[in-house]
Amino acid sequence: MGNKQTIFTDEQLDAYQDCTFFTRKEILRLHSRYHELAPHLVPMDYTNEPDCKLPLALIVDMPELKENPFRNRIVESFSEDGMGNLSFNEFVDMFSVLSEMAPRELKAIYAFKIYDYNVDNYLCKEDLEKTLNKLTKEELTPEEVELVCEKAIEEADLDGDNKLSYTDFENMISRAPDFLSTFHIRI
Amino acid sequence: MALSKNRLVVSCPTEEQNLIKELVALSTTEQIRKIRELPVSFEEKKHVRLVEKIFLKICHWSVFPLYLNFIQKCNRDVYLCVLLCCLLLLQLIRRFGYSIKSVSQSLQLWRGIMKEIGGKFGSSVLNYFVLLKWLLLFNIFSFLVNFGFITIPLLVSDLSPNVSPNVSFRGLELLTGAGYFNYTVMYYGSYSNETFRGLVDYDMQLAYFFTISVYMVLCGLVLIFSMASSFKKNYALADAASNSAWQLLCSWDFSITNEKAVNQRKNNLRIQLKESLSEKAHRERQTTSEQLKQYGIYFGSWLLSTGLAVGCGASVFYLCQYEDEVRKSTYCCRNPEAETLLVPFVVSLMNMVIPLFFSLFNKFEQYSSQRKQIYALLFRNVLLRISILGVLCYYWMNTVPQKFTCWEPMVGQALYRLVIVDFIFLMLGSLFGEFLSNVIGTKIQPRLGVPEFDVARNVLEIIYAQTLAWIGIYFSPLLPVIQILKFFILFYLKKVSLTHNCQPPRRSGRAAQMKTIFIFLLFIPFFAGALSIVAYTAWSLTPSEHCGPFRGLNNTFSVIGEWIDDVNKLSSTQWVVWIYQNVIRSEIFYFLITLIILVLIYIFWQLIQGRKELIVLLRKQIVNEGKDKSFLLEKLQNLQKSSEHISIVPRQGMLRGRQSPMRW
Repeated sequence: MGNKQTIFTDEQLDAYQDCTFFTRKEILRLHSRYHELAPHLVPMDYTNEPDCKLPLALIVDMPELKENPFRNRIVESFSEDGMGNLSFNEFVDMFSVLSEMAPRELKAIYAFKIYDYNVDNYLCKEDLEKTLNKLTKEELTPEEVELVCEKAIEEADLDGDNKLSYTDFENMISRAPDFLSTFHIRI
Repeated sequence: MALSKNRLVVSCPTEEQNLIKELVALSTTEQIRKIRELPVSFEEKKHVRLVEKIFLKICHWSVFPLYLNFIQKCNRDVYLCVLLCCLLLLQLIRRFGYSIKSVSQSLQLWRGIMKEIGGKFGSSVLNYFVLLKWLLLFNIFSFLVNFGFITIPLLVSDLSPNVSPNVSFRGLELLTGAGYFNYTVMYYGSYSNETFRGLVDYDMQLAYFFTISVYMVLCGLVLIFSMASSFKKNYALADAASNSAWQLLCSWDFSITNEKAVNQRKNNLRIQLKESLSEKAHRERQTTSEQLKQYGIYFGSWLLSTGLAVGCGASVFYLCQYEDEVRKSTYCCRNPEAETLLVPFVVSLMNMVIPLFFSLFNKFEQYSSQRKQIYALLFRNVLLRISILGVLCYYWMNTVPQKFTCWEPMVGQALYRLVIVDFIFLMLGSLFGEFLSNVIGTKIQPRLGVPEFDVARNVLEIIYAQTLAWIGIYFSPLLPVIQILKFFILFYLKKVSLTHNCQPPRRSGRAAQMKTIFIFLLFIPFFAGALSIVAYTAWSLTPSEHCGPFRGLNNTFSVIGEWIDDVNKLSSTQWVVWIYQNVIRSEIFYFLITLIILVLIYIFWQLIQGRKELIVLLRKQIVNEGKDKSFLLEKLQNLQKSSEHISIVPRQGMLRGRQSPMRW
């Protein structure tokens, strides 16, 4: 069906369409973008599922991610090894979650992982401080940073343990209707 | 699902089994949706999908032997074939559905431009362009429907327009819509009221009526559904208290890719955070005199704005009457057609200039939140436009039918002129609003800076333009053509103006809520108003005697009555007549429906109140649980400390005993 392409088998494309929010054309386009990042490393023929991973430095160089203050954390959250090396499946997965068709709950889970710098399943004050510094180019004084983070924890923490668990975060997201449109990268 | 270092893993086999069991019970589309929403890596999703497919196949095949016992041998092969064919067919249908989806996506208009604008300016500015595209689609649909069902049958049956011999095409028609255009299929007047006998009997009256009404009803339904879904998604309990946490964690727009825009956003966020910190430090109570002064300013500016809006409406009314007198008194002298452009010119001028006054008032008032400021400004602008449109419609409905024999094309022409002049003023407004402001802001008065794209004002302008088209569809079925051209050109114009003249918005505002408000505005005052004008025309006003598809009837709606009489003659379609007489024309039905809907609304409202109370209770419960948890942890720690203390104390005593001789 459609024009003949030799990059993926039909079963593979079916699997991609069933498991992500992309259509066939978008998946092929994503593959060509992935290939562009490292033409000598990424094979054009994926029918026998090659084991090819691109390093973090190449992925964050993409124009969609280059200026994002959280680019490193985004790529790390979607990589299997936690170091930011993405295979093509993880690459597709990343942009699928960040696309506009992904539902709020799924995006909230990954947003939580992105902001959780020390990967302890809580957003503690240090995580928030790092987030704030990334967002303001470190131009706030340390006292102001501490004040803002304390205020944020005070507002969002429901169970009083001075850090934000996933439930606190999700509760805050549910009251922020913009989240769906801001947590979105177009490709 | 246990959280591992970086990925959520479906760790235990039993969890996976539960997931598969859950998935198998759902329909195919639901299954796919659930698999896509699993927060696991791609390989895991593929694995789940594969297992689920195998499980399904096993289910099918395990049921199969049971059937075998009941079917005779010769039918078994047939059954096997049918089962395999069904499975293959399902797979083919799914693939076909996917290819349809990708084809429809590639036909999407302006995808690259939207991505560029969203990347540089953010979601709030993008909302304007999304709304423009959406309204353009409305107009394209309207054009296709009108052209296909009304114009083409007319053109097919009667190819030559009955133009009177002394009228030829001059350039002025493009602007005034009168003259040569009056005799073309552009307006209501050229449509016939006959039934064309050919392959099928095509009744032009019914076609005209049903096309217009079905289109309006469809528009209304689409608007209601999108408004409802937008409310559900975006107008959640927006808590003003969680401002700081929201700014930190939810406000960053991930779709911005332009370096300058990103730096600017970072600066803006920093400034906003500093502002909110200093506001907290210096929040003081306002004294009574200051409060009184504030209220005085509010009252004064609201009075002035309402006065301006009402004054504009009144002046438009007097202008229409003046134009009427001029037309009656001087038959020759000046160019009578150019004079018809006076009213649209003044209306568009008012729509362009008065909102500037409203912005000026807004600067003097100080609202407690930015959102209230935008709402106040929007409300005043809407009031202005509604009052002008209302006066014009009143004039068209009441005065025009008495003055002209063929009055519907007159109204159609007036609307055509309004649309064209509005377009010219939109272009001029873009020139003055953005280009000149940019020049002034960068070269002449650098303090003002580069202007921002005023989303609210622009959105209101296109909503107003679309309202004119909606009112005009009944009187001029091909008006959507003009509207399509207008919106098409406007898109490119605004895009160029935006990229050259404007900077990204400083305040990262709540774009999603604004989008909901815009759709709500589109529906309630504007679409509902247009629909009621058309409905009033169809219900109460007498169509003109000598032109148009409804000539000779008492009102437009009586075509339905005549049609029902025709249908009544056939015995097979008696149910249509029954529905018409007992449902559509009976008042008791509407009364009952209204009563039922009111009761339902009350019940749902009470449900919502109950849920709100439940949320408050649950929040308190969470806080209490947290306190319990920390209390128990503290007690545990104290117990541990005290048990350590008991074991340490004897050793300390021995140490003291040893140390004291050394001090001596």
